[in-house]
Amino acid sequence: MPSSATATGNTVTAVGTANQQQNNAATKIRQQSIAQIKQEELLSAQTSYYIKPEEMKLTEKEKFKKFLWDPQTKKFFGRSGSSWAKIGLFYLIFYGMLAALVAICMWVFFQTLDSRIPKWQLDGSLIGTNPGLGFRPMPIENPDSTLIWLQGKNISSHERWANLVNEFLDDYYTPGKSQKGTTSVRKCSYSNPPLRGEVCSVEVKNWDVCSKANKYMYHKNSPCIFLKLNKIYGWTPEYYLDPTEFPENMPTQLKDHIMSIKDEDLKRTVWITCEGESKSDAENIGPIKYYPDIQGFPGYYYPYENSEGYLSPLIAVHFERPKSGNIINVECKAWAKNIHHSRADRTGSVHFELLID
Amino acid sequence: MGEHGRADSYRVATIPANYDDNKTADGRAKSRRKQVKKPRKADDLDELKQELDIDYHKITPEELYQRFQTHPENGLSHAKAKENLERDGPNALTPPKTTPEWVKFCKNLFGGFALLLWIGAFLCFIAYSIQASTEEEPSDDNLYLGIVLAAVVIVTGIFSYYQESKSSKIMESFKNMVPQFATVLREGEKLTLRAEDLVLGDVVEVKFGDRIPADIRIIESRGFKVDNSSLTGESEPQSRSPEYTHENPLETKNLAFFSTNAVEGTAKGVVISCGDNTVMGRIAGLASGLDTGETPIAKEIHHFIQLITGVAVFLGVTFFVIAFILGYHWLDAVIFLIGIIVANVPEGLLATVTVCLTLTAKRMASKNCLVKNLEAVETLGSTSTICSDKTGTLTQNRMTVAHMWFDNQIIEADTTENQSGVQYDRTSPGFKALSRIATLCNRAEFKSGQDGVPILKREVNGDASEAALLKCMEIALGNVMNIRRKNKKVCEIPFNSTNKYQVSVHENDDPNDPRHILVMKGAPERILERCSTIFICGKEKVLDDEMKEAFNNAYLELGGLGERVLGFCDFMLPTDKFPLGFKFNSDDANFPLEGLRFVGLMSMIDPPRAAVPDAVAKCRSAGIKVIMVTGDHPITAKAIAKSVGIISEGNETVEDIAQRLNIPISEVNRNDAKAAVIHGSDLRELTSDQLDDVLRNHTEIVFARTSPQQKLIIVEGCQRMGAIVAVTGDGVNDSPALKKADIGVAMGIAGSDVSKQAADMILLDDNFASIVTGVEEGRLIFDNLKKSIAYTLTSNIPEISPFLAFILCDIPLPLGTVTILCIDLGTDMVPAISLAYETAESDIMKRPPRNPFYDKLVPAISLAYEEAESDIMKRRPRNPFTDKLVNERLISMAYGQIGMIQAAAGFFVYFVIMAENGFLPMKLFGIRKQWDSRAVNDLTDSYGQEWTYRDRKTLEYTCHTAFFVSIVVVQWADLIICKTRRNSIVHQGMRNWALNFGLIFETALAAFLSYTPGMDKGLRMFPLKFVWWLPALPFMLSIFIYDETRRFYLRRNPGGWLEQETYY
Repeated sequence: MPSSATATGNTVTAVGTANQQQNNAATKIRQQSIAQIKQEELLSAQTSYYIKPEEMKLTEKEKFKKFLWDPQTKKFFGRSGSSWAKIGLFYLIFYGMLAALVAICMWVFFQTLDSRIPKWQLDGSLIGTNPGLGFRPMPIENPDSTLIWLQGKNISSHERWANLVNEFLDDYYTPGKSQKGTTSVRKCSYSNPPLRGEVCSVEVKNWDVCSKANKYMYHKNSPCIFLKLNKIYGWTPEYYLDPTEFPENMPTQLKDHIMSIKDEDLKRTVWITCEGESKSDAENIGPIKYYPDIQGFPGYYYPYENSEGYLSPLIAVHFERPKSGNIINVECKAWAKNIHHSRADRTGSVHFELLID
Repeated sequence: MGEHGRADSYRVATIPANYDDNKTADGRAKSRRKQVKKPRKADDLDELKQELDIDYHKITPEELYQRFQTHPENGLSHAKAKENLERDGPNALTPPKTTPEWVKFCKNLFGGFALLLWIGAFLCFIAYSIQASTEEEPSDDNLYLGIVLAAVVIVTGIFSYYQESKSSKIMESFKNMVPQFATVLREGEKLTLRAEDLVLGDVVEVKFGDRIPADIRIIESRGFKVDNSSLTGESEPQSRSPEYTHENPLETKNLAFFSTNAVEGTAKGVVISCGDNTVMGRIAGLASGLDTGETPIAKEIHHFIQLITGVAVFLGVTFFVIAFILGYHWLDAVIFLIGIIVANVPEGLLATVTVCLTLTAKRMASKNCLVKNLEAVETLGSTSTICSDKTGTLTQNRMTVAHMWFDNQIIEADTTENQSGVQYDRTSPGFKALSRIATLCNRAEFKSGQDGVPILKREVNGDASEAALLKCMEIALGNVMNIRRKNKKVCEIPFNSTNKYQVSVHENDDPNDPRHILVMKGAPERILERCSTIFICGKEKVLDDEMKEAFNNAYLELGGLGERVLGFCDFMLPTDKFPLGFKFNSDDANFPLEGLRFVGLMSMIDPPRAAVPDAVAKCRSAGIKVIMVTGDHPITAKAIAKSVGIISEGNETVEDIAQRLNIPISEVNRNDAKAAVIHGSDLRELTSDQLDDVLRNHTEIVFARTSPQQKLIIVEGCQRMGAIVAVTGDGVNDSPALKKADIGVAMGIAGSDVSKQAADMILLDDNFASIVTGVEEGRLIFDNLKKSIAYTLTSNIPEISPFLAFILCDIPLPLGTVTILCIDLGTDMVPAISLAYETAESDIMKRPPRNPFYDKLVPAISLAYEEAESDIMKRRPRNPFTDKLVNERLISMAYGQIGMIQAAAGFFVYFVIMAENGFLPMKLFGIRKQWDSRAVNDLTDSYGQEWTYRDRKTLEYTCHTAFFVSIVVVQWADLIICKTRRNSIVHQGMRNWALNFGLIFETALAAFLSYTPGMDKGLRMFPLKFVWWLPALPFMLSIFIYDETRRFYLRRNPGGWLEQETYY
């Protein structure tokens, strides 16, 4: 006779108890049924921790397959379709709000920036006050290389280099291109420096043989390399006006050149020298000519203030007869009191190699 | 019910005893056993788990001698002994094979995360060597990185090796139980040999005080008694004789076992097993050979490591391939791989977990819970079943008088350790008479020199029952020795097992009364037989049927409580027949032994320890199932279980139901009985499926008369079903179960050395309530580890995403590998550890044990200091299948939500600094090649400025530093939200000072790393403008607000979708 653990089931058995009165029996039944119900709950709570007997029989592989797609509960990777949808929606909203937060922050931030003037300048910025030098043409096929390789008889290689320079000098030869006409460009001189809002022009004819027409002498295996000083907003050079201030390592050629200038105004220039790095390079490098003659960047181009139409002044360094067949390491330095050189850091200087085949 | 061994000291007399006469039910002789199996090295654990299957106790002595080719008077011949010695080896326990230390060290050095980090370090070294050979000025970044990674792995490996090398000296503690010498008969001569030289068949002589040198079959005995406590847990001396009384070798009287103590008498026996084949040897083999298995927390961490490794490898390989597709140089791709691996693996996590566990272990040690194995600290928190030994663990292991029956009422005596219970009335004449008998008819005495010791703790010469009576009387009357002196004993007949009583005659201490007093005590029914009157309420009445009925009821009731009952009677000997100076004869009684005056009953029990019922109740409310597993009798076991709370009020076994309804047991519906008391002999018949059924279908279970092997089988049964089992015990017979359990808890004071060696945790003050502390601390540390891991993992996303952006968007690298290490090993460590000090959140002890199939773990160590969020003991234990340490919800929260916000903060700062210096965001996309090229000395920014390589690298490193600092800033918020998983921070408070310190420390460290001059050379961390600490703030606040809101909704909708998806 099956007797289930319910109160009604127990009343049947209560009749069998002998030595008790009716109400005692009733309370005892109630107590028992309460106890039994409690025990049932306890049992089910305890066994919820145990592995179900069916599950104990599953192998690892079957468990994994069940995880991927469970046909009984229609769960894919442990989640049903609607569950995926819900969580997908949740994340969509979450990332949406995050993106909005980022957008707001960015927008607020951009309000603090000026479109023309960088927030931090000179020493306040990480750019510092020690500009480096840049050279053109840069070998762009290999971004890590600084080798200018002229392959003797190979005309296309000359052409390539010349084209690279052409691209770079495009703005110089046709200055009207990017101008929007907000500032005025004029020719300046040492005695006639630019005023606020005015931009000095760069005279292309100063470059003499290193010109477009001459294809920058690459075909003659005497390349012209263009140098420029890095633009730093608001930076002005401190010039070497007094010969006693010349640093120890200034090449004699430059010292003589500066001493030979009579006009004091002209001394307001950032000087340029190019040399071979080692002794053998110095031998191989051959004679060098600088165009324009001043051998420097005139001071009236500075400070750079991100004006419309500003073009950096250039020096064309003409290597007239470099020795062929060797890699020549060339280091060009800019000279001013507030320019410090470091070969490792390439500050105040630039390094490249020449190879004439 | 099956048969139970007879013991002839004052055992439970209500159980009928019939011994095995080697015949089946219909009178045929039982089949003889086959030839004796050749004793072989017991190296198969399964074989060891079987019950002892021998028949040496059943066969006749002659067959015994023939089998072993020995002789009872002469012993073995020297030649035969030598032959046996060569065949079987010495009579000693063989130590188990141990793995050499260096193997263990290597496993630690190369397991888990370590392997990943080794691969990373290896790749770094390769990358560096390639760079060194191809470039003139190789950056030594990769070299340093490789060295740092290798250092991290080595230090972590040493750490985990140190904590794992718990030297298991189990075998040595067994060796301490082995006797040194034995008296052996060889070729007719008595020799004293080293116990190791004994062989099968040797005839040995043992006397009281000796340790039995091998398993022997008794062939002669004189009053011989042994203490089998190391095998059965009961310290009551068992008498041994050449009689074959029971089929079970552990119960029969004619066997004595290796390393048990002989407490009385002398005996001669034949050695039937030696060394590893003895019962003790088998237990030792089991206990030392058993593999303890992985602790639950180790499983969790393993699972977690697998998860993280999977993600790291997946991401690493994917982006390695993508890098190739995008055209990167293979060396660069290797650098990415290293970076992604380093960013993914939380290098500081193993140290964090170790420190968290150590802190908890220290806390537990201050509460007198010594934890031998760090990981065991957490196991109690996940425990869902406790299998507890009875004697010495749940009980005081000291017989104490619990009830008395006189004047027709049952009086309760005070059994508490410190006499704090109910006191009874000592003035009634009934009590006076009873106490006089108890004091005088008693041979027990206190040992000398114990005046300062509390009465209940004093040591006594004499057996357990008499000691109980002595102590009771000392407490009630005071100075028992004085009373005895005043009532001089003139004659006594000591207890013998046939008569079952003890009687003595004393001179009266009343100077006016010259009569002798005869006092007798013994088995209640025997005493009643010899009485004709009964002393009730001061008057002597005739013993009529009504009185006998009252007696029977009292006797049944006390016996039903599982107590050992003794009857007392006395008689005043008339002076005419027995004047002073009468020569009483004890051998042939010349005084009356019948017609005495029955005075009362006293019953005694080994009472539960005071703290136990409360502790059991707390464990049960914490959802832990408590099972009793004992070597004692079922009735006593059940009585103790009821008084302790293991079997609760109203819960019935099948026998109870049968009794109540007056129907035979077979007709009782199995499903109604949720409690069960299972006898060891029944247990032997059950298959493992049937055992699983029993365990699964009963809420309250008691296993009685279990052998050490059976204890082990029960533990294995529970584990098979997925429960995490704790075993508490104090004896040698508990040691296999202690070893096999997920956590073994031994008594520190009362426990034997063997059990202490086998256990993972020792209760230094034998206080069972410390287990409750252990559960609480274990649950707390599990919760806090989750928080620590969630905190640590969150910072992975802002560490990995810069690399991904670097590869996919071609921007300059926002965060470098060195800075990642600064976070993982520097600023994140102290906060994560401090979470271990957090207090419990919700009721930890009212939670059920975690289901290991669902609940899964996730600033590192500070989070371990968090307090419990509220009563942690009201939860059920975690389900080890579902409640995992690190589950998808934790990963979803850490990686998918908070981590993303942090990454957004980092990128925002990156763009801010770049833009403020001149590189507006649009300019950065695609600029990577030129940015990283040493050749480009004039990279143009959005304002037309041109940057040298050195300057823009400084900018990049400043961005790294700022990204690092902003991760620190958002981790403030992360730390605060990780303090709680459900409650609001307002509720939890900021009282965790370790955490507050962690916040300050990590900020100070970040500032130090950024601003200290010289950091730019080594770590490439540059000083930041103060304003650059600020851009991360809105994100920090949004993390905080988001999580508070989430938890608010979580509390409002418990069980809802949000909880299922985000409550880890």
